[in-house]
Amino acid sequence: MTITCAAVVGRANNPLYLEACKPASDEEVLKYHYVVHCALDTVEEKVALRTQPGEIADSYLGMLYPTEDHKVYGYVSNTSIKFIFVVEEPAPKDEDMRALFKRFHAAFIDVVSNPFYEIGQPITSTSFDASVRTIVTTV
Amino acid sequence: METMNAEIFTLTYGSMVRQLLVDTEDVEEVNKQLDKMGYNIGVRLIDEFLAKSKINKCVDFRDSAEKLAKVGFKMFLNTTASVTSWNAEGTECSLILEDNPMTDFVELPEGCSRKLRYCNLLCGVIRGALRMVNLNVSCNFVQDVLWDDPVSELRLKLISTGAENYPFKDDD
Repeated sequence: MTITCAAVVGRANNPLYLEACKPASDEEVLKYHYVVHCALDTVEEKVALRTQPGEIADSYLGMLYPTEDHKVYGYVSNTSIKFIFVVEEPAPKDEDMRALFKRFHAAFIDVVSNPFYEIGQPITSTSFDASVRTIVTTV
Repeated sequence: METMNAEIFTLTYGSMVRQLLVDTEDVEEVNKQLDKMGYNIGVRLIDEFLAKSKINKCVDFRDSAEKLAKVGFKMFLNTTASVTSWNAEGTECSLILEDNPMTDFVELPEGCSRKLRYCNLLCGVIRGALRMVNLNVSCNFVQDVLWDDPVSELRLKLISTGAENYPFKDDD
């Protein structure tokens, strides 16, 4: 299972971070932006669906939608920050994806704890880049 | 010893430095303010340190530096420093800090690397504390992990020793 793209989207659906995991041309990066953007609609649907009384909200949203050569997985935090992974075949197991998202979330928490990071701004931290690279390659 | 959550300390210190930077917009001014704040903390902290640690009087400056690095840092920051690079007369040394809880998660913004002394408060604390035991020192950072150096190094220089003056005369 290879991850082709990792993205973090903020509360106002503004992109905070998008990284293509193998070297990609500008066109491909644009395509990933588009894919993540489309995924946001599905995220909103799922989030709206699950706010039924008595149900415990689960951060992991599962597969958002499949396309011809990859699938998109989503995870939303309690602060409405969305984490998206675009994954190539073969399909990964649920537990694996949950673990990956947890690590992604943890790396994001480290960035947010930096006093000089402004919430809502794009993430430029090199250590976040390095953590995401580690998460994505040691899959 | 009472303990507190390290993260709340790190985040509080971080937001304080950030606010100083936003308010003054001058990196040198921020360094100075941090040093002043540290000095005020140091003159008060020394009493607590001496009371809680119950150490004996230090024989010379070497001893003081060792006690500062091992007991002082351990008590207040839960990390130890190592003392190295003594000069010939024994009046200058380096305190090497491998990990510092104040700098967890911190990344300096563009243009501040090498200029902003993020932990300058520590320098002020050391200066203030040692001043109260009659040791005039100067203390500054020569290496800092936030400047992409491998460790943080504090250079401690003994300038003078104040005379031991007692508040009352002997012949009373």
